[in-house]
Amino acid sequence: MAKELSADQIQSAAEALVGSVAEKFTGSATAEVRHHTGGRRKNAYVYIDVEAAAWRDLATWLAKSHKVDHCSMITGIHWPEKADATWQVVAHLMRTGVRNPGVVSGRVHEIKVDIDALVGVDVPLEFEISMTLAETREPSVPSVADIWVGADWNEKETWDLVGIEFEGHVGMRRVLLPHDSPTGYHPLQKQHKLRYHDFNEMYDDAQGFGRKPEDVGRVK
Amino acid sequence: MAEMWISMGPQHPMTHGLWTLKVKVDGETVVDTEPDLGYIHRGVEKICEARDFTQITTYCDRLCYASANTWSHAWIYAAEDLLEVEVPERAEYIRMVAVELQRIASHLMWLGAYCPDVGNLTGMVWCLREREMMMDLLQELGGSRMHYNFPRVGGVKRDLPIGFAMRCRAKLKLFLDRIQEYEAILDESTIFLVRTQGVGYAKAEEMINHGVTGPNTRAAGHDYDVRWAHPYSIYDELDWSPAVERPSIKGSDCYDRYRVRVEEMRQSALMVLEGLDKMPGGSETHHESGDPAILGKAPARAAEGKTGFHHFEDSRGESMFYIAGGGEARGKHPYRVSIRSPMFITIPYAAKCMIGYKIADIPAIMGSFDPCIGETDR
Repeated sequence: MAKELSADQIQSAAEALVGSVAEKFTGSATAEVRHHTGGRRKNAYVYIDVEAAAWRDLATWLAKSHKVDHCSMITGIHWPEKADATWQVVAHLMRTGVRNPGVVSGRVHEIKVDIDALVGVDVPLEFEISMTLAETREPSVPSVADIWVGADWNEKETWDLVGIEFEGHVGMRRVLLPHDSPTGYHPLQKQHKLRYHDFNEMYDDAQGFGRKPEDVGRVK
Repeated sequence: MAEMWISMGPQHPMTHGLWTLKVKVDGETVVDTEPDLGYIHRGVEKICEARDFTQITTYCDRLCYASANTWSHAWIYAAEDLLEVEVPERAEYIRMVAVELQRIASHLMWLGAYCPDVGNLTGMVWCLREREMMMDLLQELGGSRMHYNFPRVGGVKRDLPIGFAMRCRAKLKLFLDRIQEYEAILDESTIFLVRTQGVGYAKAEEMINHGVTGPNTRAAGHDYDVRWAHPYSIYDELDWSPAVERPSIKGSDCYDRYRVRVEEMRQSALMVLEGLDKMPGGSETHHESGDPAILGKAPARAAEGKTGFHHFEDSRGESMFYIAGGGEARGKHPYRVSIRSPMFITIPYAAKCMIGYKIADIPAIMGSFDPCIGETDR
């Protein structure tokens, strides 16, 4: 049998972290233990809802005090129908525990983690951090690219595609769209519609031969 | 000597795809680099907003042309998290077989592309020969040779075909012998060793801070793997341990990254062999498509306000899908699909990694990180 992290290890690590967030960030962040809902293993992960102003403090604290060493993804969502939360930035962080292998008497020894012995801040853990911004034309959240360099290109991409600014990010530029894209053009904002948005006629009847008048506007 | 910028790409043998590496050189020495991506940006994330959950699987197949199955499975696990779906155990075994065969095929494609990069053409033809065997097996499962569209929300499209287990065992046993041949020609090839050893040093902690994961990190001496750290599927029932390489004191070089992938292919082959033995219901039985033993029930719509995400051990590192569902108003479509591509994060790091080395080392260093531009540009 292969060794895997047990659900209990993850659960207790997540609960410990949620408790310390509640102590440290009263008022500006709320944390809870959530569970994945699909598949065989319903593992726990930490969900934190944080105010954008406190995001940098939270990130620094997680990286320094809780060994959160990996910024997996930062992404943005545009919710035009929500006036008080039009923009959402979601960061997925991870605690991996990856460290450089040690040197013993002049020889490097690779690390094979003793998974059963992992406790406390050494247990790998998933984080989902969410922050929302009210309706504004210039959404902006602090950058964390100096804490985790991996966030750098994620933030570039989020600005490029969603149009959310990252204060303090150095060298922001287009990464996926052409460099000469129009200013203010961010295609994942919801005012940019896809053709056939909201219905599937093009798959069922691509040529349109079988389309009947009563089918017009039918939403599958 | 005066410094100058030169462009490697978008058409250059080093790039393994369509992108540009701008290199600032001082004589023969690289002093700065800047990757320029986005040449094949197709807007998959936007397209997904107007497709239902099964249709998106085909787009995810096309994210990476060398590793289609791992990407569609990464999507399916995230969609199952969103839709709260249970998967039959037999389907999980079949998925594991499909993913691990794809991982072998992907690493073979990498090694096949890497060998001519560093001057060993024989390696390429040998690797592509063995990749054909994996492609044949995957074709039996998915029906096509490159984009399989194999998993479904709740299970898999088809059961193992009759006789698949027998052919799979025979081919993998042959493959396990052939791995030793690769090791023999590469580990004893002077030109391969000269070009890969001692170039492109990268340290584990630095890599994880830069978001680099998967085989690249394991080559630097830490066996972190999403498959044990955030367990999913049936990997807990198999006897395996992640491939990890002993780096030098300066970190892992290109040679370590080659070694770890060869070891990972061996692990994957053994995993598939064991999975075929342990498969519930036996690997020689065959259920019709849609049988509850291989395809569970799944809702077509996500609950209001629900989100789902899943970290997945892809051939190139940790891939992830984050999905925000939209409830009744949005119908069967997700509201927003966000894709974490391991290579999108790794390419900037690999570009920084080659600073200080010579221009001639660029293909060796870049190739050793296994770039794939399909997933990078999405």
